[in-house]
Amino acid sequence: MTIKFQKIRKHYDGAAAITDFNLDIQQGELVVLLGPSGSGKSTILKMLNRMVSHDGGHIFFNGQDINSFNVQDLRRRMGYAMQSVGLFPHRTVGHNIATVPRLLGWDAQRVQARVNELLQLLAMDPKQYAGRYPHQLSGGQQQRVGVARAMAADPDVLLMDEPFGALDPVTRAALQLQLKKIHRATGQTILFVTHDIDEALLLATRIVLLNHGRIVQMGTPLELLQQPTNDFVADFLGRADLGLKQLSLRPIAPHIKAIEGTEPIHTISHTVTFKEAISHMATLHVSSLRVVNADGTVLGQVHATDLLETSDV
Amino acid sequence: MSLSLVQRSNPVLALYVALAIGAAGGLPFLRVAPNRLLSGEPVYLWDVLQQVGNQQIDALLLGLVVLLCIAVWQPGQRLIQAFIILTMAASLSGVWLLAGQFASSATQAENPLLRTSLGAGFWTLAALAWLIALDAIARVQLPTLPRLFLQSAFFLPLLLSLNEGQQLSIAQEFANQRDVFGPAILRHLQIVFLAVVPALIIGLLLAWRMTQTRNLRQALFPILNVIQTIPSIALFGLLMAPLAWLAVQLPGLGRAGISGVGIAPAVIALFLYALLPIVRSALAGLEQVPAEAVNAARAMGMSAGQLLWQVELPLALPVLLIGLRSAVVQTTGLAAVSALVGAGGLGQIMFDGLFSAANELVILGVIPIVLLAMMADTFFKVLSSLIKTRP
Amino acid sequence: MLFSLSFLRRSLLFAAFGLLASSVVQANGPVRVGSKIDTEGKLLGNIMVLALEANGIKTENKVSLGNTKIVRTALVAGEIDIYPEYTGNGAFMLGAEKSPAWKDLRAGYELAKKMDFEKNKIVWLEPANANNTWAIAVRKDLATANQLRSMDDVGRYIAKGGTFKLAASAEFMERTDAMPAFQAAYGFKLRADQALVLAGGDTAATIKAAAEKTSGVNAAMAYGTDGPLAALGLLVMEDPKGVQPVYAPAPLVREEVLKRHPAIATILAPIFKSLDTPTLQMLNARIQLEGQDPRKVASGYLQSKGFLK
Repeated sequence: MTIKFQKIRKHYDGAAAITDFNLDIQQGELVVLLGPSGSGKSTILKMLNRMVSHDGGHIFFNGQDINSFNVQDLRRRMGYAMQSVGLFPHRTVGHNIATVPRLLGWDAQRVQARVNELLQLLAMDPKQYAGRYPHQLSGGQQQRVGVARAMAADPDVLLMDEPFGALDPVTRAALQLQLKKIHRATGQTILFVTHDIDEALLLATRIVLLNHGRIVQMGTPLELLQQPTNDFVADFLGRADLGLKQLSLRPIAPHIKAIEGTEPIHTISHTVTFKEAISHMATLHVSSLRVVNADGTVLGQVHATDLLETSDV
Repeated sequence: MSLSLVQRSNPVLALYVALAIGAAGGLPFLRVAPNRLLSGEPVYLWDVLQQVGNQQIDALLLGLVVLLCIAVWQPGQRLIQAFIILTMAASLSGVWLLAGQFASSATQAENPLLRTSLGAGFWTLAALAWLIALDAIARVQLPTLPRLFLQSAFFLPLLLSLNEGQQLSIAQEFANQRDVFGPAILRHLQIVFLAVVPALIIGLLLAWRMTQTRNLRQALFPILNVIQTIPSIALFGLLMAPLAWLAVQLPGLGRAGISGVGIAPAVIALFLYALLPIVRSALAGLEQVPAEAVNAARAMGMSAGQLLWQVELPLALPVLLIGLRSAVVQTTGLAAVSALVGAGGLGQIMFDGLFSAANELVILGVIPIVLLAMMADTFFKVLSSLIKTRP
Repeated sequence: MLFSLSFLRRSLLFAAFGLLASSVVQANGPVRVGSKIDTEGKLLGNIMVLALEANGIKTENKVSLGNTKIVRTALVAGEIDIYPEYTGNGAFMLGAEKSPAWKDLRAGYELAKKMDFEKNKIVWLEPANANNTWAIAVRKDLATANQLRSMDDVGRYIAKGGTFKLAASAEFMERTDAMPAFQAAYGFKLRADQALVLAGGDTAATIKAAAEKTSGVNAAMAYGTDGPLAALGLLVMEDPKGVQPVYAPAPLVREEVLKRHPAIATILAPIFKSLDTPTLQMLNARIQLEGQDPRKVASGYLQSKGFLK
């Protein structure tokens, strides 16, 4: 499954909104379109499923121009989740999720199984939630159902337009983690739009940073943090704490050393990031921690200076 | 905290009681005429009671008035309201029984053409019994379905005692019309159905198109509004000539029953009248469908038709039902006029009475129309409340 | 597109075929019997329906269709096949108001028959020997108090300024051969406030108005064969100058329908012959005064005369 944006242009009222946009997306990527309001990221997303038309250039889906598809067939192969969710108020959760599978003519058993599978994937008990109506759910639960509905027919690509923007920070964090887990587990290709840098850094395998309809920089989160191409990028990513952001992307595992000298008193799990390790040290006023794994076996130690002085390049 | 006079009492009930006493004393309860055509001499409730009443009935009536007066000052007591509903249902049946008994006792032997007809007093008392009961039912504060049921069940005692009114003029008219009555009701329902169903289908389609093109809305609503203002008889008349011409050009139409007279001009006119309430409510319904649901449906790959059928219509339904209810009730009443162009129906009986100067026959035609309209109204109210239980 | 093009095309084709098929079927349809909306119209219409059905001719009951204009138009347009009309009406329907023939039953009948067949291919069948002519009936007390027996007396009474208010239909007040003819012949003119114009041509309303003195009415438009006159205390004023044409009821039928069912003429002729003025008055009284259903009155009469088993 490949997606190719080639020299995409769009004008609104004569003014250019998107200029010379090029992007290749491979199977399994989680590409985040990041940028300030008005950068055109949402527009580009909606060009892919033809909710918005493009004025110049071509978009290819598996090598075929998207305009040559029957538009409904095209859309049924792509999941779509948006900020306002748009669940059907008159249908149950299960029925909502089953929408596209039913449009595709799946038999009832297969649909039912898929609904249960998805609800469990999004940490909602099917027995409890499948029969509920949207108005009986919280905002976070509604968005989970929205994501499940988007994934229901096993789409080639999942399009997500700032889906967690309207949620409170706690729920948002939980859903971001959930999505990351699902992406790792299923390998679902995702095109994700957001203006939230932390969200982008957490989720993306690749970030496309946009400004005024043009690509400013494209690369992995770490690349953008370590080598911002210009001031805009640096400012947008948060010039003051670029370093700390990098730390949150790096796990401590590769930097665990054997214990020398006094064994540190406090422990930390081996799965944490640099940022969490440093934060823990700062809280405890220590500069080293003993690293343990899930069943308590000591794996070694990490030291603050080691963490800060090494890089993963 | 002291309550105001209005809160401590039931002024509505007080008004009804005052009107009832006025009607009982001042309006003729019945009229006795030597034949069907003449209006006859007035007979007051007092005279009727003297003729057919007895001490028990007098006592009951007095007790009833006392009860109602007490009820005026006990607006909140549910038990009293329940009692009122029962006594009003009984009273409705009671006035009918009194009238029927009086008619039976009138000397039929001398003049076989003698007619006892229901006077303004009877109708006023009957209407007031209904209104008092409605007020009491409202005060009991039941949920929708039980309330509607109670409103319908109110007429049960009257239905059971209908037979006692055999000698009344209205019953005699009914006996004469018995053969045509059934077909008239069916024909009336047929006319309403043939007008409303196409109006629903086309009205929905029009409203749906209107959600997509602004121009259509601006062009069409003025036309629909103008149609509403055309008097029905005039519209029937206007349709007769072109339909007659059409029937001459295509003989097959005539055989199919479509011609300048009869059911065709009536149905077409009624269809046009029904369009406005339906289009208006369908449009309002479609417009209050959440935009994000529509957006999501489109993005998921629903075609326009699937979107309409699976998302927009079900969500627009509650509002649409309101307009549909209005259209059906309106059409049921208007269909009466279609008798003037030869369409038949209950209006035929009504106009027969009008032209033959037989008032009871007019009432005989009108009451079923009113009942049909009320039943349609209740039916749609029930439907609306059933839909509400689904969120 | 909500509906596929092929669906639209298919339904149009089906409709066209249906129309074609039904126009072929037309040739063998039932005889559509119409009538005017007044009492006698319903009586005669039902008599015709019952008589034809009893003799094996299928009918479609369109009795009580509308007023004279509606029913006549329907016949000429071919929307009904047969209905009862009056010979006197031929004067204005066929545009021969000036002819004196209308004052005589037979002469008027023959004239109408000839003209209508030539112009419209409509056949006038044998008439009844009755005269349902327009007349003015006054309250008995008014008549007695002012010695009113004929229209001459009425004319003089009105001209002298006597209290007079007539309840009548719009048609009666406007048609040149009705009220205007009376006024011209008997030398009086009603002011606007001396007439109460009612809707519809049924005299029950006008008679009732006079009987109950509604709005000061003391005279009513009436028909020669009206039933309730005597019972309601009204007296018909004679027409010595013969202003009014003779209105004898006769069935009017479209020629092609008669060709298909020639028996119609022989079935209806004896029935109509048996309907003289007193008979019609009696039958009309049953409907208007007793409130019996016209169909029942019709069938009762036909049975009593042996036309119906």
